[in-house]
Amino acid sequence: MWAKVYSGFGYWDVYIWLLFFGITSALVLWVRSLGRDDYKEGTEQDEIFYGSNEVPEDGDDMGVPAASAYWGFVKALKPYYDSLIEIHSGIASDYVGYFVLTVAVLAVLVLL
Amino acid sequence: MTGNAPFLVVGIIFFLGLYAILFERNLIKIAIGISLLEASANLLLIVLGYRSGGSIPIFTLAGEVRTMVLPTPQALTLTAIVIGLATSALLLSLIMLLYRHYGTLDVREIRRLRG
Amino acid sequence: MNWQIHLPALVLAIPLLGAFASPIAGLGGRTVRNGWMAFISITTTAVCLLLLQKVLVDGTAVYVMGAENWNFTLPSGLSWPIRIILQVDAFSAFMAAVGSIAALAGAFFSLSYMDKFTGLEKFSALYFLLVTGMLGMQLTGDLFNFFVFLEIASVASFGLIAFWRDRPEAVEASFKYMIISTLSAMFILIAIGFLYGRYNAVNIAAVARMLHMGYAEKIALVFLVVSLTMKSGAVPMHMWTPDAYAEAPAGVTCLLVGVSQASLYGLFRVCFSLYGSSLGSPVIPWTIIVMGVLSMFIGVTMAVIQKEIKRLMAYHSVSQIGYILLALGVGLLALRDPQAMADYGFTAMKGGIFHIINYTMYKGLLFLTAGALYYSAGSRNLNELGGLARVMPYTTLMFVIAAAAIAGIPPFNGFVSKLLIYQSTFAVYPLLAVVALVTSVLTLASFVKVFQTAFLGPAKSKFAKVTEVPGSMLIGMSILTVVIIVLTLFPTWTLAHLVEPAAKALVDQAGYISAVMGGGL
Repeated sequence: MWAKVYSGFGYWDVYIWLLFFGITSALVLWVRSLGRDDYKEGTEQDEIFYGSNEVPEDGDDMGVPAASAYWGFVKALKPYYDSLIEIHSGIASDYVGYFVLTVAVLAVLVLL
Repeated sequence: MTGNAPFLVVGIIFFLGLYAILFERNLIKIAIGISLLEASANLLLIVLGYRSGGSIPIFTLAGEVRTMVLPTPQALTLTAIVIGLATSALLLSLIMLLYRHYGTLDVREIRRLRG
Repeated sequence: MNWQIHLPALVLAIPLLGAFASPIAGLGGRTVRNGWMAFISITTTAVCLLLLQKVLVDGTAVYVMGAENWNFTLPSGLSWPIRIILQVDAFSAFMAAVGSIAALAGAFFSLSYMDKFTGLEKFSALYFLLVTGMLGMQLTGDLFNFFVFLEIASVASFGLIAFWRDRPEAVEASFKYMIISTLSAMFILIAIGFLYGRYNAVNIAAVARMLHMGYAEKIALVFLVVSLTMKSGAVPMHMWTPDAYAEAPAGVTCLLVGVSQASLYGLFRVCFSLYGSSLGSPVIPWTIIVMGVLSMFIGVTMAVIQKEIKRLMAYHSVSQIGYILLALGVGLLALRDPQAMADYGFTAMKGGIFHIINYTMYKGLLFLTAGALYYSAGSRNLNELGGLARVMPYTTLMFVIAAAAIAGIPPFNGFVSKLLIYQSTFAVYPLLAVVALVTSVLTLASFVKVFQTAFLGPAKSKFAKVTEVPGSMLIGMSILTVVIIVLTLFPTWTLAHLVEPAAKALVDQAGYISAVMGGGL
């Protein structure tokens, strides 16, 4: 039950990992406790910094929408994504076509 | 040669059905294509179980004959027909609902889910 | 009288009874129907776990339907079986247990999730029919019976995907799945017809014993392999997966994940037990490996750009199925070479089979948390969601656990199975492991996106009234969470007692045949 999982090249032991996780967390918490303790609740230290602008009332006006996530990645791979989206056309007979095509290609490969 | 004719028919029906599913745009015609595929599969099973000159595979009714057709494919085909019935009914009712929602039976226009 | 010999039949009978008695239970009102659904799903899971335990202790269980005696596989003097035989080896029992746990969680989740809707007795009837179909595919030892259960599962899942039939998208998803699924079922039936025509038998063990490769067998193999990979959602036939998974009610999606595993089970049963050593050329193993690699990469890159939470997760199912296909494809490649099998093949198979249970658990949990978000916040669009960690702490916690597990972050269970897969596929061809690693990174990236946009961020005023989901949904989610944590903390035990017997059963073709056909002959 306490043995290791051998993968052929190395091993995995969850308990050693948890042990190191515990040690590291203790270290981090100790370092953190050495930090400054002059934080006071309810003063201007609490206020949100919003590029020196007025902070909007509703979260809707300042959150980053999901559509903006990884836009650089998507832009860099635009040709790849364009062709992928073209494949996912949403037309049922196209999907059937891919299925039949796969059967045909594999049949040729296997029979040869 | 004539012994293989049923298999030829199976092939023809199969490819007709496949053609209908792949190239027809009307949903009802696609449903017909699927029914054709089912028919070809059922026919294949029946033909596989046939022995020339064989009688029905029921001992009490067959009489004095020595050759009988195989009983298993007939049982399989009955089951497959029942399943095919259920699929066809469900398929047609889905087509009805699709027509109600989208106002069209063209498979190329029913594509709100994509990408 | 030892009642345990009837367990294989009970596993199928209980959900079937649950399905057909659901309309009657529905007459008794809401409480009776919910109680019936909970009772049947708990009993099914219990029976599946008992069966797994029995099979692990006693070896392969055989159950003959309709014979005078339960183990009367070869009736009076015949050398081939004529009745329908349920054949449960360690792999089948393992898959059945995994599927039934997913079904249990989905059923509990659905109790509250579907509460607002009518026609729930039909819902639970279809739900248990789907469970029956899934378990039947995993337990049967008969090719035609496999087809019948496959169709039961398919027809039930069409109905469940289109359960919200006033939503056009749901009907559309169901229709697309239905077209391609019925077509593939016909291919499977024709393949079974070919095998029957050659060997006059539909029992897997009987056909496997006589099998030698010819043109008909090769065509049948192609039809079976492509149809079953399609049903499990592998590229390039994966397009139905995001539609169907995203539009089905969340509890059903959790079960559909389990059902796709049943198709994977069929694929590996055909490849390992039916064809096995007579597979010959490495074309089929490499096809499965290539499909796996393509599924991993295309699935995950499509997931990164999705804006709808369940669609995003559905693309991840495609990529996770890729891992399993890759691992078991490598195992299949090494099947004829004992040296390769010992070096990396068996490790790959262990990794793949371990990934099956891991994948079903965390993916089911992810779909359930997405359903919880939809239930509480009323939206599946990631552009609209935000700041929900404050009001839904339990859902958030369980989402984080599942997301860490799917991304393969240590110490979670996903990491262990991925580690086994990376290191064994590296031995075959380093590029395979590289693609698997890149996929894992992109998986993490897209779940960071979900976590950041749905759970973190400033509170939005339109979600001010959102609260945590009701108790039964939390129970459904915590079942899967507990399984994930157990798998995380005891990977060695799981590998030694569940995964290894399953992998051995899959490799051992002679043992599978002799369980039905007897030793000699």
